[in-house]
Amino acid sequence: MGDSQYSFSLTTFSPSGKLVQIEHALTAVGSGQTSLGIKAANGVVIATEKKLPSILVDETSVQKIQSLTPNIGVVYSIANLYSLCSGMGPDSRVLIRKSRKQAEQYYRLYKEPIPVTQLVRETATVMQEFTQSGGVRPFGVSLLVAGFDDKGPQLYQVDPSGSYFSWKASAMGKNVSNAKTFLEKRYTDDMELDDAVHTAILTLKEGFEGQISSKNIEIGVIGSDKIFKVLTPSEIDDYLQEVE
Amino acid sequence: MSRGSGGGYDRHITIFSPEGRLYQVEYAFKAVKAAGITSIGVRGSDSVCVVTQKKVPDKLLDQSSVTHLFPITKYLGLLATGMTADARTLVQQARNEAAEFRHRYGYEMPVDSLARWIADKSQVYTQHAYMRPLGVVAMVLGIDEEKGPQLFKCDPAGHFFGHKATSVGGKEQEAINFLEKKMKNDPAFSFEETVQTAISALQSVLQEDFKASEIEVGVVRKEDRIFKVLTTEEIDEHLTAISERD
Repeated sequence: MGDSQYSFSLTTFSPSGKLVQIEHALTAVGSGQTSLGIKAANGVVIATEKKLPSILVDETSVQKIQSLTPNIGVVYSIANLYSLCSGMGPDSRVLIRKSRKQAEQYYRLYKEPIPVTQLVRETATVMQEFTQSGGVRPFGVSLLVAGFDDKGPQLYQVDPSGSYFSWKASAMGKNVSNAKTFLEKRYTDDMELDDAVHTAILTLKEGFEGQISSKNIEIGVIGSDKIFKVLTPSEIDDYLQEVE
Repeated sequence: MSRGSGGGYDRHITIFSPEGRLYQVEYAFKAVKAAGITSIGVRGSDSVCVVTQKKVPDKLLDQSSVTHLFPITKYLGLLATGMTADARTLVQQARNEAAEFRHRYGYEMPVDSLARWIADKSQVYTQHAYMRPLGVVAMVLGIDEEKGPQLFKCDPAGHFFGHKATSVGGKEQEAINFLEKKMKNDPAFSFEETVQTAISALQSVLQEDFKASEIEVGVVRKEDRIFKVLTTEEIDEHLTAISERD
């Protein structure tokens, strides 16, 4: 990875024992658009703001929520798209591509869909490698991975450092502390998927600047049918009406 | 040698600054603006048009060799705004990639695939220390078999978006404001309207009327899908139509 001239790691320990590059990467994530995920009793929902820099951008060309396998989906949190343009959205594309490939390789070897924990672990390993290898910088994205496999519905958050945790509900980005407080109040272990979608929308609405609509948010769900899908704008509209 | 943080190296290579920014990428954007040229792209209902200034700094230069508009394949065009040398590298690699795609998969590389490939390559330069980001913003245009006319913009950070209309360069913000007003109600422009919107946007932000030899115009139309650079005569026709309209 990289030229021999850069065979030293760019992420090195500071005198106080911190890996400062990773902390900077987390700062980049923390200034991004709000994303969140909620694990229900019978499924998982992930949602994000989709604020585009101009009305001239064709919103159908942008999809922040993507599927990694038929039963696992992901959303990422990045820095402001236009003003800083610090290249984080592109980082997520690299991770998504690598994860999809790892999932396919697992299937080829074991003839079984990859379990969510294993895919998350392999993605996290990639992110960790970029904090230690020579001549590269850490990824500037955090990922929320939602999946449904034999162990049931699962939600994981992976950070630029490569560490990952399983969550009942989590949020990231600009409005993270308010969103998490809101989720803590509303979360119940026996929530149904529909309730989770409503709660997700209400949480996004909390910190939303402007009018929330099906054009500036994205929602992905996976239910007991184990198929991850991104909701169409009309489906989002239905949920928005129910919430009103 | 490298402390990776606060050692000032965050401005030299693409590692994070304390605020979580990548300075090298931001400086690459500044390099694009410093080239002093503004480009505009507009997508119509059945065509796409891109326009850029043609500044020939020296009278002794061969004008035909000064260009920012490059065909990548017969059906894909690329308008590169920024540092000329970086642009030529990008175009060369893009041409190679598009040709290999055609050979490997048996059909022409779609616009969004090429844009994504360019963007992914740009992302690598923002993450690996051994190469700097390119000082070029590329506008890729073509007619997609399923989605129709497409206009993509790829920047040094590795972002790429589809656009209904966009602008790059020194006066990009003014141009975008102008275009936002024009495209507010999702109009469906015909070919002539597309070209004239693009040219008049450039005229309006630069506040001058040009001669046909001072701009370059590239188009793709749904009827034949071929990327064409307009000749000076064709540009003149459009300029006349605009001045008669006003």
